[in-house]
Amino acid sequence: MVAVANTDKMICSKCQVEMNHHSDKIVYKAGADDAGTDMALGGIIEEFHACPKCGGGASRPEVRVHC
Amino acid sequence: METVRPLFIPVILGTARMGRMSLHAARLVTGELGKHAGVETSLIDIAKLPLPTNDAGEAIKQAEFSSNIDRADALVVVSPEYNHGYSGPLKHVLDSCLREYIHKAVGIVGVSSGPFGGTRVIQNLLPVMREIGLVTIFWDVNFSSVGKVFAEDSSLLDESYIRRIDKFLKELIWMAKTLRHGREQISLD
Repeated sequence: MVAVANTDKMICSKCQVEMNHHSDKIVYKAGADDAGTDMALGGIIEEFHACPKCGGGASRPEVRVHC
Repeated sequence: METVRPLFIPVILGTARMGRMSLHAARLVTGELGKHAGVETSLIDIAKLPLPTNDAGEAIKQAEFSSNIDRADALVVVSPEYNHGYSGPLKHVLDSCLREYIHKAVGIVGVSSGPFGGTRVIQNLLPVMREIGLVTIFWDVNFSSVGKVFAEDSSLLDESYIRRIDKFLKELIWMAKTLRHGREQISLD
């Protein structure tokens, strides 16, 4: 079973406010190791966040835990 | 009361060739965009982006370009049509970012020396835009027979383009505002 563990909200480094998680996208990286790869979807799921105050964007890989 | 941040909508000139007529089109669209209240713009000339060619993608990300796209709410891509396709340098530049594009609007301006106004390059760009996370609008601008549209000094010889550009930009601005709201306020979760 695979569970999504990364539920911590991202904080805007400029405004120090909670960012909005508005998108997930599969990113394919040649040569990347299997860590973080969603085997069902075939790539790494990247989360995209935006700051409601300044509009700045940030991203991070979705952290998945095999259990 | 908090002031509303202006929209930032840069125009990307998608060719680095010498003598490119697309420069005139890009300058015209940038000028028209700058007339809209609450919108800031700038012209990004890919000929001035020093990207290496021995690698690709985010490995060659250029800080200033990345910063401009990160700040942007929408993009205008001005692309000439070369053998029915877009220029290699344009694709090379577009591929250097990803996070910066997600859920932002894009409008495409096609330029051709022939009669079809870059319609084929626009069709070829649509799947690229979709894959990098941009949201395309249904208005385009098509500069056909571009050699007859602008004078040597860049002045516009056919004023009918102004109305077309105005319609295109109004749709792009609406989409930019809508997607900004979505990015900042509407959660995926």
